[in-house]
Amino acid sequence: MSERDRRRLAFAALAIALPVAVLAALTLGSVPLPAGGVLRSTVARFGLGGPSPLPEMGEVILWSVRLPRVLIAALVGGGLAVVGAALQSLFRNPLADAGLLGVGPGAALGAVLAVNLGWAQQRFLAMPLAACAGALLALLLIYVIAHAGGRPTLSGLLLTGLAVSALAAAATSVLLVAVEEYRVRTVLFWLAGGLEGRGYEHLGLAAGFVLPGVVALLLLARPLDVLSLGEEEAAALSLPVHGFRILVFGLCAVVAGPVTAVAGAVPFVGLVAPHALRAVVGPLGRHLLPASFLAGAALVVVADLAARSFGQYVELPLGSVTAFVGAPYFLLALRGQEGRG
Amino acid sequence: MTATLEARGLAVDRGRRSVLRGVDLALHSGEGLALVGPNAAGKSTLVRALAGLLPLAQGEVRLEGRPLPGWPRSSLAQRVAVVAAEDQAPDRIAVEDRVALGRYPHRGALAPLTGEDRAAIARALRQTEIEHLARRPLGTLSAGERQLASLARGLAQEPSVLLLDEPASHLDVRHELHLFRVLDDVRRGGVAVLAVIHDLARAAAWAEHLALLDGGRIAAEGLPAEVLESEAAERAFGVAIRGVSVGQGPERLWRFEERA
Repeated sequence: MSERDRRRLAFAALAIALPVAVLAALTLGSVPLPAGGVLRSTVARFGLGGPSPLPEMGEVILWSVRLPRVLIAALVGGGLAVVGAALQSLFRNPLADAGLLGVGPGAALGAVLAVNLGWAQQRFLAMPLAACAGALLALLLIYVIAHAGGRPTLSGLLLTGLAVSALAAAATSVLLVAVEEYRVRTVLFWLAGGLEGRGYEHLGLAAGFVLPGVVALLLLARPLDVLSLGEEEAAALSLPVHGFRILVFGLCAVVAGPVTAVAGAVPFVGLVAPHALRAVVGPLGRHLLPASFLAGAALVVVADLAARSFGQYVELPLGSVTAFVGAPYFLLALRGQEGRG
Repeated sequence: MTATLEARGLAVDRGRRSVLRGVDLALHSGEGLALVGPNAAGKSTLVRALAGLLPLAQGEVRLEGRPLPGWPRSSLAQRVAVVAAEDQAPDRIAVEDRVALGRYPHRGALAPLTGEDRAAIARALRQTEIEHLARRPLGTLSAGERQLASLARGLAQEPSVLLLDEPASHLDVRHELHLFRVLDDVRRGGVAVLAVIHDLARAAAWAEHLALLDGGRIAAEGLPAEVLESEAAERAFGVAIRGVSVGQGPERLWRFEERA
């Protein structure tokens, strides 16, 4: 099979997998809805076909509970996967990830700070904006520290990321101690990652940041490819390397910050989706970034379905589900990379 | 004849250390210039300074008579291509896609491939004779083939100046001959070629002119035989260098011996 056929097949599979995952997530749950009914209800919403065959309760569950949640899951997964792919190109390492570079902990710190200072209760966009700022600060801090002693090695960069993440997590813990007790539970659940009770206002919030950020990153696919050739070569090909990196950091924060504000920490999605796809669709951004979006979206939709299907009365934290799958994958990939030297 | 690329009184510092001092160098259209010198003489630094990739402490570099800072980034990269010794491109990228990135200065972030771009890419692959490898990922190539893919990326830029930093460092003799034959071909097309070359005999055989860099200064410059037989060369490398004429032509065999 030629490389182009393989790529087409991968895109076709993703284009089928995402709607199938979405449909499964809409139909399955504590109150199962028939797939045919869900489809016809959707058609009816657009004023086509007959009236929806679902009972009124089913309509409410589908349109008010499940749909926003499933769409948020898709945006969260797609956004994190595109950010992961962009950061992997930027750091020229196929195992870079927002979570490993302090984005998640930074965003969490920003969001908890917003809760703690009462901003989140007073202003509508305060929490996602604070999460953006936290994510951006963490990335810039890592970038500046790692560059302080000249050009950073990859391990230096990742270790700096680890240290800044630990610092952000420590600061988050300190803030949590100061949070009123009744809020701690909410914040802890939020930090574990989850989409329980998320509705259209959260969807609007996530979409308002994630979609423009993702589109901008997709438009930067070619300069990302140029940068993946190495800093020197990129500069010799007219790319303003430092300015471009900061632009990409900013866009990653614009996507990952609100994602963390809406869904909490959802680790490893940004690592697994682009890493697995690179072998199939190749490393060029114009293929890898859109494929990562589709795969990340499908992954998180399924992970969220698994999280809420675990038991009748309890939900697993979404972040735990993705970590249970992602962490072993990361370890295997790490071993593979070390094996290659 | 005015030079395509010209350095005047060039000085580059790294931190407090001076790496290059008072370097004057001129490179003309269609010329092949080999830059030689002992380790740590500043050869790679000079290549990068000539491409406008390093801040200068003193002096200036002019391209077509205009100082480099006066050139917009993309116009500069459309005219000056740099090929480094170490190819850092990702292993999974296909040869053709890597070469196509050489069109970035012409296309920018969003423009699609034009007929002109495709022609330049095809020409670069043909000239380096790696058309048959076009769809192969870089990670599956030999070091020599990979170096040719790097060179093809530089040629796809369609530059008027090609700067190469030790292009033959990893190559076996067959690939080395192939590479320098390609460079001759490029030169005949009117491109000014400057190459850092470690192997002095190879440098003398290939280049029209040699520039000897020692301790951050140009210690000697001129025809290969003049430079290699100069006192400056013996001092720079710390060896005795002797050229032996072969037959009637100007060609020489070079002998290098440790000095007592």
